[in-house]
Amino acid sequence: MTAPTSGTRPDDARRHNRSALLRRLHVDGPCTRATLATELGLNRSTIKAVVDGLAEAGVVTEAVPSQRSGAGRPSLMVLPQPQSAVVLAVDIRVDQVAMAMVGIGGQILGRHSWNLHRTTRLPGEVITHVVESAQLLRDELAVVVSAAGVSVPGVVRRADGFVHEAPNLGWRDVALGRRLGSVLQLPTLVGNDAELGALAEHVRGVARDSSDLVYLSADVGLGGGVIAGGRPLRGTGGYVGEIGHIQVRPGGRACFCGAQGCWETEVGEPALCRALGLPEDTPRGALVAELRTLSAAPDQIERKLGEFTEWLATGLVTLVNMLAPELVVLGDLLTALPPRVVDRARAIVHERSLVSRAVGGTRITISPLGRDARLVGAAELAFEQILESI
Amino acid sequence: MSEPILQLRAVSKSFGAVRVLHDVDFTVRAGEVTALVGDNGAGKSTLVKCVAGIHPIDGGEILFNGEPVTIHAPADASALGIEVVYQDLALADNLDIVQNMFLGRERGKPWLLDESDMEQAARRTLASLSVRTVTSVRMPVASLSGGQRQTVAIAKAVLWDSKVVLLDEPTAALGVAQTRQVLDLVRRLAEQGLGVVLISHNMADVFEVADRIATLYLGRMVAEVPTKDVTHGQVVELITAGRSGELGLARPEAAGAGR
Repeated sequence: MTAPTSGTRPDDARRHNRSALLRRLHVDGPCTRATLATELGLNRSTIKAVVDGLAEAGVVTEAVPSQRSGAGRPSLMVLPQPQSAVVLAVDIRVDQVAMAMVGIGGQILGRHSWNLHRTTRLPGEVITHVVESAQLLRDELAVVVSAAGVSVPGVVRRADGFVHEAPNLGWRDVALGRRLGSVLQLPTLVGNDAELGALAEHVRGVARDSSDLVYLSADVGLGGGVIAGGRPLRGTGGYVGEIGHIQVRPGGRACFCGAQGCWETEVGEPALCRALGLPEDTPRGALVAELRTLSAAPDQIERKLGEFTEWLATGLVTLVNMLAPELVVLGDLLTALPPRVVDRARAIVHERSLVSRAVGGTRITISPLGRDARLVGAAELAFEQILESI
Repeated sequence: MSEPILQLRAVSKSFGAVRVLHDVDFTVRAGEVTALVGDNGAGKSTLVKCVAGIHPIDGGEILFNGEPVTIHAPADASALGIEVVYQDLALADNLDIVQNMFLGRERGKPWLLDESDMEQAARRTLASLSVRTVTSVRMPVASLSGGQRQTVAIAKAVLWDSKVVLLDEPTAALGVAQTRQVLDLVRRLAEQGLGVVLISHNMADVFEVADRIATLYLGRMVAEVPTKDVTHGQVVELITAGRSGELGLARPEAAGAGR
């Protein structure tokens, strides 16, 4: 996770220790001083000095642990104080915007969301609404917000949060990071939705212990985030992740991207609606309700979703062969699929993928964070900016 | 597309000589938020109370999952999976969150309740709704804010595996920011596949969360339209005048022949 202490001057070393300790508390939750000392490989007196400093600043508190193990004086529990460092997380989707105030340690302090329609989906409208709601939440919770992280379903330039294309939103060339940052007056980072989903699963979800994972999220479009060797795979300009536009069906439906038969056109939300015989603009909840009903009627699954499962598996085989992940996490809409469909797709991957056979079956699992994954990822993106400086 | 989860057909209700509901048709679909709007006295709360089994209906029929049902008492409604959340934060102040969520339906033996099982179930339910704003499920309800109370009341509906949740002005007693948190929860209910009915006077709220808007005008259902097809102005006209352009009641001159 963190590199070993490399500070040469005492000041550097202290700052480094402080942020390493905070990161540990932020990601893995409260623990005792003794555990901190063992995990970070630091002297107990060093830990005491750092914790005392943080406690004085109000970032952590200490308490006597309720469960004791072993003899002797118990080591004090160190608990991060969520209110002391708060970030704003925003998840912009095609059909809605969700936002939350998240405290250090990952606790969601307050949240809000609203539907997007044709007229309210314009960048200016969204930015205004986000800023107004942020103000409200901030006043209500009486917190100081230190940074913001934003998830967008599109191609985003990492350096300044410039959104090149977010086709399903109908956005093109929007300087989102700069505009939001200047109105909110906060350091603001913008990331691709799938990349942030992967980050969320890696930090707080099912993939905490995996250093190679692919997060696949289906909404209207289909995107993928990749963590390789414990770090996000970003590619040039940070543009990696347009996994939905792998061509799987030559001569298939035309995709907005210019190609035909993209994976997205076969397994995205509209494709799922088509398979179930619903109109393509069915609200998400109605689609989920339909999938629930279907889970209870196993005899219909194969008939309705047989072809869908086949396309899902086809793409997954390519993905696993190409990136050799330890774990593939299916997120967002894919979490609502009947378990049988996921089992079937997993079986196909295990059967057809060379890489999967070599590692004895690649794990494919449903995201426990569900619809919140991107929001949690956006919060982590924001925390990355401030953990160094608290 | 599957059957609407709840359907009212030509439902009428009178209190003495006053006819409150005139042949009301109303549809609730699973996974959608249907907003029920109307002026004071239009019959919104009466409609909800008819569905909840508080008032028996005088005429018409109620279909649940396509099957005709009779709802004589609140117990009938909850047996079907219909839960109602009222505006006045109806929870027992002296009990904690778990006790409130299981009130009247406690688990375990009468002389020894299964506290840990109930606590876990409550915690799981709150987690499934991504409620991370409540720190402990053993907090007494008296110490919760209005928004948190509504959260608990709504979570109760999920815990009981309800199919339809009717919210009668759930945000009327709340401040602006808390209102937003409750609306956020309302949306997540629908995303879990429940049928949600939201009564509200606030047009901004309605447009933020609702998939469809049903308008009552003097006891008549004048329009049920998808939110994306109407504007604020049109809905306000429907509420106040019962018609807006092509929507709503027929023009008076045509009314003799029509309704």
